Amino acid sequence: MNWPLLVLLGAVVGFVSGLFGIGGGFLMAPILIFMGIPPAVAVASQASHVVASSTSGVISYTLQKAVDYRIGGVMAAGGVLGALLGVELFRYLRLLGQADLAVALSYLLFLGAIGTLMLYESLGQIMRRVRGEVLPHRERRRPLWLYGLPLRMRFPRSGLYISAIPPFALGAFAGVLSAIMGVGGGFILVPAMLYVLRMKAGVVVGTSLFQIIIVTAMTTILQAGRNQTVDIVLAMILLLGGVVGAQYGAKLSGRFRPDVLRAFLGLIVLLVGIYMGLEMFVRPSDLFAFAPGVPE
Amino acid sequence: MIQALPPPPPAVVAPAPERSVATLEQVRVAAALTDARVLVDSSFTGASIVLYGAVFNPTDQPTDVVVVVRGPDGPVRLVKKTRNLGFWLNSRPVLFEGAPGFYMTASTRPLSDIADFGQLRRLGVGVNHLRINAPEESRTVTRYGVRDVVVSRLGEDYLDWRRAVIRLREAAALYNTDPEGVQFVDEGLFRAEVELPAVAPTGQYFAEVWLFQEGEPVSVSNLTLTVEKVGIEREIFEFAHRRPWSYGILVVLLAAFTGWAASRLFRRQ
Repeated sequence: MNWPLLVLLGAVVGFVSGLFGIGGGFLMAPILIFMGIPPAVAVASQASHVVASSTSGVISYTLQKAVDYRIGGVMAAGGVLGALLGVELFRYLRLLGQADLAVALSYLLFLGAIGTLMLYESLGQIMRRVRGEVLPHRERRRPLWLYGLPLRMRFPRSGLYISAIPPFALGAFAGVLSAIMGVGGGFILVPAMLYVLRMKAGVVVGTSLFQIIIVTAMTTILQAGRNQTVDIVLAMILLLGGVVGAQYGAKLSGRFRPDVLRAFLGLIVLLVGIYMGLEMFVRPSDLFAFAPGVPE
Repeated sequence: MIQALPPPPPAVVAPAPERSVATLEQVRVAAALTDARVLVDSSFTGASIVLYGAVFNPTDQPTDVVVVVRGPDGPVRLVKKTRNLGFWLNSRPVLFEGAPGFYMTASTRPLSDIADFGQLRRLGVGVNHLRINAPEESRTVTRYGVRDVVVSRLGEDYLDWRRAVIRLREAAALYNTDPEGVQFVDEGLFRAEVELPAVAPTGQYFAEVWLFQEGEPVSVSNLTLTVEKVGIEREIFEFAHRRPWSYGILVVLLAAFTGWAASRLFRRQ
């Protein structure tokens, strides 16, 4: 394997993740697959890269008191359950020879949708700013169903008094995605925490990173234990470059307006989703392939 | 953690020809390997071993040497992409009960010039003639809760699947045909190289050295060799498969530590 290239790849993805404040998993897995690493190994190994970049993120957000460990804990509990389900599902799909399809389909659906939404929202905001229009007043009311559910808990740091079920379910959903796509799930968690749960904006990123650490750590252990698809050498090479790149990306991010950053991120997310989905429509060069899981 | 490797088997070498009347009159081949135990190391460039041998040919008819090396048999699962409603989707996995994990032939001339189709097929010499186990009737087996279709050798698509196994294994350098792989270095003395890629399976390998005369096999020498993998990557591989849970926890701890170290390091600066 070409390891200098992998260090560079880790650094570039780390830079992007630092720049946009994301885990970067959605970018890393497709590039690794493009480089010829089997999707199952790519997805499982780079989850540990997400652990590393999120750890340094959570440390700095904790120092700024921008992590709500209470709601984060509820989400992480859901995430662990979701990861358990997701790894079993992935194992079954892999043996069935359908893991590649599941990866391609979930990238196309989730990244395509989120990328489109982000691009639409941020471009709209940029247009209004350029034309000098006044930003429309944001609706701050939470959906009523959040209050109708049982098991209400207080989350003072997030300014919430809601049922524990929605954050738990959100965490579980991110856990399943983490197992199948090798991502932390930040691209789903952050918008959901902001626009559905209506958490205080200041604690959203730090809290989502906390949940991501727990879930990706769980996913890595489960993938290693159940599927033996984690490549420690690949993982370490990637995260060496990744943690360094992330620091430089974070330094640079202050220079751009948030809406411009979001527009770029939306574009990257959309392109990655389309690229991964394309595989299903292009005639493969060899119709046959080995399936994993040959019994010993 | 990692079990000690079993002691190496004694190098198996074809018995030395006896100086009898038969030796002086019969056409015979004898061969040996430079190493009966091959260690594929962690740099994973694979390994190369040399097989050398001698041909005793008191007749006037020319002879051809064919070297066949077979790795341990194992089941093979394959999927085939088919187009459904515009999507390329994988079929249900198809299972071959056994195919050699490694197969190579080296010969003095192309195999088709040395012997005819029937003869090669009967001996199982050449990738097109190697035996891949398949029952007569197609059936399904359930492993890990997934139903696999076992390929039937009478099925109409059997040849497609068989060719796919060979093509994919050739692409991985696991199956190989070298029509000029046997070289005579001197009168009656030949050598052939066996290139083992890093992905070659471990275990017992069998080498056959055939001597052909006028399209007929006249002599054969059988050798065995053992392939083992050693080195740090192999040890990691063993660790990942023997203690997968501890391995996973170790990866996570290393990752978290790296993240923590990076944030410490960069805050200082």
